Amino acid sequence: MFFHIVLERNMQLHPRHFGRNLRDNIVAKLMKDVEGTCSGRHGFVVAITGIENIGKGLIRDGTGFVSFPVKYQCVVFRPFKGEILEAVVTMVNKMGFFAEAGPVQIFVSNHLIPDDMEFQSGDMPNYTTSDGSVKIQKDSEVRLKIIGTRVDATEIFCIGTIKDDFLGVINDPAAA
Amino acid sequence: MSVEPFNKLVKLAARAFYDDITTKGDNQPKTGRSDNRGIAVVVLDALTRRQWVREEDLAKDLKLHSKQLRRTLRFFEEEKLVTRDHRRETAKGAKIYSAAVAATVDGHPLKEGEEKVKMHTHSYCCLDYAQIYDVIRYRLHRMKKKLKDELDNKNTVQEYICPNCGKRYTALDALRLISMEDEFFHCESCNGELVAESDKLAAQEGGDGDDNARRRRREKLKDMLQNLEVQLKPLMDQLTRVKDLPVPEFGTLHAWEARASAAVRAANGDAGAIDPSKSSQGLGYGGTSLPFVGDTKVEVDFSGTEGKGENIKSETESSSLKVLPPWMIKEGMKLTKEQRGEVKQELRMDGSSAAVEFSDDKKATIENDDKKNIQDEYIKAYYAALLKKQQELDEAAKKEHELSNTHSLNGVSDTTSNRQVGIKSKRDEDEGDDDVEWEEAPVAGNSNENYKVNDLNVQADASGDDEDDIDWEEG
Repeated sequence: MFFHIVLERNMQLHPRHFGRNLRDNIVAKLMKDVEGTCSGRHGFVVAITGIENIGKGLIRDGTGFVSFPVKYQCVVFRPFKGEILEAVVTMVNKMGFFAEAGPVQIFVSNHLIPDDMEFQSGDMPNYTTSDGSVKIQKDSEVRLKIIGTRVDATEIFCIGTIKDDFLGVINDPAAA
Repeated sequence: MSVEPFNKLVKLAARAFYDDITTKGDNQPKTGRSDNRGIAVVVLDALTRRQWVREEDLAKDLKLHSKQLRRTLRFFEEEKLVTRDHRRETAKGAKIYSAAVAATVDGHPLKEGEEKVKMHTHSYCCLDYAQIYDVIRYRLHRMKKKLKDELDNKNTVQEYICPNCGKRYTALDALRLISMEDEFFHCESCNGELVAESDKLAAQEGGDGDDNARRRRREKLKDMLQNLEVQLKPLMDQLTRVKDLPVPEFGTLHAWEARASAAVRAANGDAGAIDPSKSSQGLGYGGTSLPFVGDTKVEVDFSGTEGKGENIKSETESSSLKVLPPWMIKEGMKLTKEQRGEVKQELRMDGSSAAVEFSDDKKATIENDDKKNIQDEYIKAYYAALLKKQQELDEAAKKEHELSNTHSLNGVSDTTSNRQVGIKSKRDEDEGDDDVEWEEAPVAGNSNENYKVNDLNVQADASGDDEDDIDWEEG
């Protein structure tokens, strides 16, 4: 699920950036530092949408670095248990398949794949129905439901299922 | 608040879930003799027949070792079936408890006389019905949910196990487990190939994850679910039955004791039941005297209620009469006249006037003691004469009575005379005096005189009439 929230961060800036572009430099550094990171609490920071305010800088003793408290608006993405996501399959093996929904990695074990889909090993390992009409392989797009999340301080990993109504392949690149 | 359905619930749950619970420590060898499976059921059953119970007593009743019992109870406490309370108390404190027990389980004699001042830690336990209800429901819910999830593989996190080192992983670890070389997961510590733990409930048969095994597993799960539904049906029925009933609540040990002892007092009814010894005990025990000092009971009777109305009315009347002592009643007071006519009032009047007389009599007796002997002889002679005289007076009085209209006065004198009838026996000695007075001043109409006459007349049948007549004369 996506959220638009305000976060705060102390930015350390090297003195060489001081000048009339100070503000731009701060924002640029913030984006570089923050976008794409993941915190267990808020999820993945997708994009910074704006700066609320930049506080007074504080010169660090000894280094000359200045730290600015920056409040910024950003879009975060945090997966929740029970959430339905669309994801791209990245790897298929005997144990199931892995998929990515943006920054999130999702594993779907073979128990959570419909019973009528069989694993086919080979050059392109895939799960296929007996009549061959549906095939899950690398780069397939699937809709899945998250049934479990593992949230670490800097990492979120999910397991999902496609064994439910309206879940499964939504766009097969092979067919396209 | 009926406990019965809840007790049934507890018994069913005990048999369903705690039948083969053994509380033996794992380090002890399990010999046939020390096998204590079933103890849990026995203990729970015993608890359904009690409220708060001291664990030592329970152990004694069940002929169990107290340690064994405590182990079982601790287990139930963890299972949230039982609430326990521990407190340090003297023998006295224990007695408070036994008093409370006596109140609930009648026929337990109170053990008195043990006056050890030593403090002991006593443990008490009691079933917590409200929680039991929730615990059982939750347990059933979890059982069903687990089986159902397993059955359609929903929301179950696949587990993997390393056959070499036995290390377990869940699907959440999957990212770390994939290896580059092949398509299997590998153990982090020994690099062994992980095997999906295809299911925890059904036995593992044959190849992992292949279709056949999966189907067999599903059947097994279905069977289990069905068995669960069938075998636990009585329990679930009891749960639904109990659902809308008020849960029996014993409160904390302390509150329960207070209530029980209050109940016993109420049962005894009389205020005497609040014996001071008990209340002093209460004070002695931990300073928590309040419950044992005796409850203040306020009973409000509304005089308006039909049944009691009459009685109360007459009583109030008599009491209002009592406010007016005989000496206050004067001729002019017509108000009280009708009331005096009532029997009850008369009795009341008797009582009050009797008191007056008593004091008179006492004085009289002092004087009379010396005279007594002489009087005794004199009295006999006197009575013979008196009888005659009274009869004469009678006739005269009757005539007078018709003439005299002062009814109110008559009433007063009437009542006094009646009362005297009750008092006579003691007054025998006084008679002499009175008689003398009587003779001297018959007009004075002293009530004492009258009653003495009555006494003497006990043998003489006509006495009643005589009195009345005399009273009339006084009036």
